[in-house]
Amino acid sequence: MLSTYAPAIVFVVLGTIIGIAFTVLNGVLGTSRPSPAKLDPYESGMASEIKQGFRFGISFYLVAMLFLLFDIEVLFLYPIAVQLRAFGTFALVETIVFIGLLTVALIYVWRRGALTWK
Amino acid sequence: MTSVLASVKGPEIDWAAFSPLLGLFGGALIVLMVGLSSPRVIRAHGVPALTIAAFGATIGLLIWEWNEQVSLIQDALILDRLTILITLLVCVAGIASTLLAWREQAAREIAHGEFFSLLLIAAGGMVVLAASRNLVTTFVGLELLSLPLYILCASRLRSERSLESGLKYLIVGSVGSATLLYGFAMLYGATGETDYAGILTQVVKEGLMGDALFLAAIGMTIVGLAFKASLAPFHQWTPDVYEGAPTPVTAFMSVATKAAALGVIVRLFFTALLPGVDDWRPAWIAIAVISILVGNVGALGQRSLKRMLAFSSIAQAGYLLVGVVVVTELGAEAVVLYLVVYLLANLAAFAVITVRERETGSDAIGSLRGLGARSPILAGAMTLAMLSLAGIPATAGFIGKFRLIEAAADGGYTWLGIVIVVGSMISLAYYLPVVAAMWRPDTEPGVDPATGRAVLAGGAQEAEAERGGWEATLVAAVMGAAILVFGIVPQPLFELVGDVLKGFGTG
Amino acid sequence: MNINWFLIVSALMFALGAIGVLVRRNPLVVLLCLELMLNAGNLALLGFSRMWGDGDGQIFAIVVMVVAACEVAIGLGIVVALYRRRLPIDVDELRELAG
Repeated sequence: MLSTYAPAIVFVVLGTIIGIAFTVLNGVLGTSRPSPAKLDPYESGMASEIKQGFRFGISFYLVAMLFLLFDIEVLFLYPIAVQLRAFGTFALVETIVFIGLLTVALIYVWRRGALTWK
Repeated sequence: MTSVLASVKGPEIDWAAFSPLLGLFGGALIVLMVGLSSPRVIRAHGVPALTIAAFGATIGLLIWEWNEQVSLIQDALILDRLTILITLLVCVAGIASTLLAWREQAAREIAHGEFFSLLLIAAGGMVVLAASRNLVTTFVGLELLSLPLYILCASRLRSERSLESGLKYLIVGSVGSATLLYGFAMLYGATGETDYAGILTQVVKEGLMGDALFLAAIGMTIVGLAFKASLAPFHQWTPDVYEGAPTPVTAFMSVATKAAALGVIVRLFFTALLPGVDDWRPAWIAIAVISILVGNVGALGQRSLKRMLAFSSIAQAGYLLVGVVVVTELGAEAVVLYLVVYLLANLAAFAVITVRERETGSDAIGSLRGLGARSPILAGAMTLAMLSLAGIPATAGFIGKFRLIEAAADGGYTWLGIVIVVGSMISLAYYLPVVAAMWRPDTEPGVDPATGRAVLAGGAQEAEAERGGWEATLVAAVMGAAILVFGIVPQPLFELVGDVLKGFGTG
Repeated sequence: MNINWFLIVSALMFALGAIGVLVRRNPLVVLLCLELMLNAGNLALLGFSRMWGDGDGQIFAIVVMVVAACEVAIGLGIVVALYRRRLPIDVDELRELAG
């Protein structure tokens, strides 16, 4: 059983050895002469305008969270969509109720003003 | 209409038996939507009133279904006496917490609609948890109760302590959930079933009692549930979360979560895992003993009342477990009886703490100093609560402990009864100073200006009642009276919890 | 493919997640580790579901995924609220209802 995987194992082992060897050799044999230009994020072209301490606004997180919640609810719809015919009317009614509940949530979020970008 | 229903191929749902759950979740939706209305008075007073109405309606539906034993949605949930009793406890705790939260800062800060609908959803989750007879519904119920509580703990958005307690509870609670889930996954792996009845048959048929996978599943399930029920040694989060959360939320959490967790422990371990009783009994016994010791010793020397009650709740959960490990009907009855008693005492205590916290801004034991002279009702309720938690005769707590010890002795675990007694004796050392602080004459001048002692003159009581809210005083008075009444005339309590296992295995 | 491989990977994931929750201090990383723990459970469920050849485990896994998303959303919400509290400019307007 192991022989089936022999090529893969050889590949992984060789890859690891070669990778490590090059990294180590580079550090041992190479020279290091840093200069400001070399240490730039982009060696050529414009210097980056974005400061390191940059943070996203609160609204970004808010919308991201709401997207995550509403997006993940779709998960429940997939199995029903695949098997709707087998489940029959009950599943359809249930899905409509489920989407209705999501709509209530959406109305709440909207009325609370969480969707306005500040 | 009938023709449409006839073509439905879905699971049979007994809507009447399902109605208590619908009452809670429907109430949550209505409360959420009403919370959007613009007049301030509706948001501040209409929303909590509606919340109480939803809890009240649920209790009404429960009484209507009192003698039913039905399994719901293909045995995913079951309505039996245990479910009904736990739901009743949760609803009473919900009403009391709503009254306590009526003037709560936290409810204003995250909007009333959100606060109270989260309370209702958490209550619904507890009912699902206590009623579940399937691993999937158990997990969903657990999360449905935990997720709203995480938010409620963090609902004082302006208080860093509240936010931190919410985050802490979320992290520890999620570790508990993940552990429980892994246990459930292994249980499913060992048996190939997710419903309790199926697991039971499979375990018996395949003789899985000593199977490694089954043992690992039991172990992880126990650890996960112990995290949720704040049992030692998985309790470290409890004092911090209880202290940081808004007091009404702490009150609800300490009482209702415990009821739901004990409910699911009884149901899961008395049905699905019953054949493995010799495997899980030692683990629960160890956890019970450690909880009683750690809770009672930890509570000694706490200066914050909420932290003290947090440790005390760990110890009380340990007492409750004694009723589980004997695996008898008497044990289950004792557990539910003790849950009732614990609910009365804890809600009375937290009501008093809520009032004092609003008046003095602190929940230190010192903030109660001189309360007996100024507000005998509050001081009396707190005294009864402390004595009941300690298990002094003539309070309901004595009846509860007596029943637990009786169940322990009956099940052949007399030494666990002795552990309960020893724990109760230690507990006197932290319950009695609270009582003493309230009734001691208030003569030391200028020791604690926060207690507002300057307003001793006439009319001060009315002013304080106004700030503290008459609702909280009402809760304290009702719970205190109930402790005394049930302590002297326990017969109604025995009748309430009698045949708690009625319809337990209804298929 | 043998069920054991699923279980080994999922046990490793669970252990990594648990260690991460214990040792990391950054709340966002802790949330990631919690996800890892829950998804370890999912992987075990799916592996067992394949072993037993029924769909119960898969349905369970879908439910768990939704629960995990809710947990992360709440965690992020609390982290954002904490962060917002430490900012000098407090975005109060968002909290109280307009009107």
